[in-house]
Amino acid sequence: MNKVITINLDGTAYQLEEGGYDALHAYLESASARLQHNPDRDEILSDIERAIGEKFRALLGSYKTVVVTKEVATVIAEMGPIEADAGGAADPVAGGTEAPGRASAHAPGDESRATGPARTPRRLYRIHEGAMIAGVCNGLAAYANIDPTFVRLAFVLLTVLWGTGVIVYLVMAIVVPEARSPEEKSAASGPPPTAQEFIRRAKEGYYEAMKGFPDRRARREWRRRFKREMRGWRMSFEGEMRANADQCQHNWHSYWAERAPFHPGMGMTLALISVLQGAATVLLICALISLIHTGALFGLALPAKVPVWVAALLLFVAYGILESPLKAARRACYWSFARPGWTWPFVFLLDAVVWLAVIVALLWVCVHFFPELREVIRSLPALVHQAADDIETWWKGKP
Amino acid sequence: MSVNEKFSAIRKGLLELLLLQIIAVEKVYVADILKQLSATEFATQEGTLYPLLSKMRREGLLDYEWKESEAGPPRKYYELTAKGREQLQDTLEYWGKINGTIKKLGQK
Repeated sequence: MNKVITINLDGTAYQLEEGGYDALHAYLESASARLQHNPDRDEILSDIERAIGEKFRALLGSYKTVVVTKEVATVIAEMGPIEADAGGAADPVAGGTEAPGRASAHAPGDESRATGPARTPRRLYRIHEGAMIAGVCNGLAAYANIDPTFVRLAFVLLTVLWGTGVIVYLVMAIVVPEARSPEEKSAASGPPPTAQEFIRRAKEGYYEAMKGFPDRRARREWRRRFKREMRGWRMSFEGEMRANADQCQHNWHSYWAERAPFHPGMGMTLALISVLQGAATVLLICALISLIHTGALFGLALPAKVPVWVAALLLFVAYGILESPLKAARRACYWSFARPGWTWPFVFLLDAVVWLAVIVALLWVCVHFFPELREVIRSLPALVHQAADDIETWWKGKP
Repeated sequence: MSVNEKFSAIRKGLLELLLLQIIAVEKVYVADILKQLSATEFATQEGTLYPLLSKMRREGLLDYEWKESEAGPPRKYYELTAKGREQLQDTLEYWGKINGTIKKLGQK
């Protein structure tokens, strides 16, 4: 009787006997070490893993689910040692303790150049598997490598707060193609998440090695080195991200520098936009209050069968649509200020103050002239309860 | 030192030419290449092939695409680029020249 360990080879699970696991682990570790200076290391490793997986699959059947140690050894022998210097590609840097640190220090530039076109580029697709509506959120989540729930939440928030979520969703559902073929599906979630796989592998190696150290000093030394290496990797990644962000910002600046030449009236325009935006906000608040309080919109009765909360939602959408050109204009103003030598932080500050002042002033006016507003504020908790009940009854009555 | 051993370095150098030739015929995946090579003096293993293929791809000689297999996950099928075909032509020509030299020198 032997213990069985489940492993993940390029996205598929296999069960190996413990001895086989050890052998395979050692093989992959040595492969990874030999390919240390190869720009295609990640890709070759995943190729190797896939090839091993294929060999394992050929051995397994419906009654044979575990690869035994001897079979693993045969497969490894079939694979053969990794020849890193294929045609003299790898540079023969002596692998000392300094090598990893140095590699991560100089790597970001040339490594990204070398592997950039090599990997399958990640592309935006709609993914139907596990989708709620058209797979837009699912595809976005796969593209950004995050949980789809967060993307869905973001869309709901966008809809409720600014009304743009629904529009963006509809446009994307039409424009973004659906991932149908396996290539498209693999492109939708990008290359296999090699970085994560590497962290996993590295961590596994880390704990494995921890077990092997008998005394505390050696363990501490190992931990220190491991952390340093991980930090090196993260730094290079962050550096790349920052460079990307800088580039993005730079493009944006130069774009608006051409588009909107600065002139002194811009400050006034900004203030004016602020006032308009503040007015729109206050209008929204007033409309909401009138809706909740009287069940009608400034005296206009709602069509029958439209619950109040739906009307409120629509109000937010309308507000979002009304406000979006203002917001765009405001952004254009901002970027015309954002140039060296100009005191644009003060303009922002001034603008914020104006905006706040407008809102406060208008709210004060509202409270002063609409006595119901005060009552509404007082009865707000009860209203929330009522809205919840409304939604509940609507939901129960739906099917 | 046997002839076999003496030629190990040359075989290794020629492997790239053979890969170009095999891939020039049709789109293949690594197991096909290994099978074709296994009966020859150039029998090799994945551990050698994958790094070499990735190097050749990096040099723009070949490219690959994912294709679905009957069982299991999609496979990488390799094909030559225009540059790869050019290189194959050049290498074959050069190889012919070397062969000619060997024969010519032997005849004297």
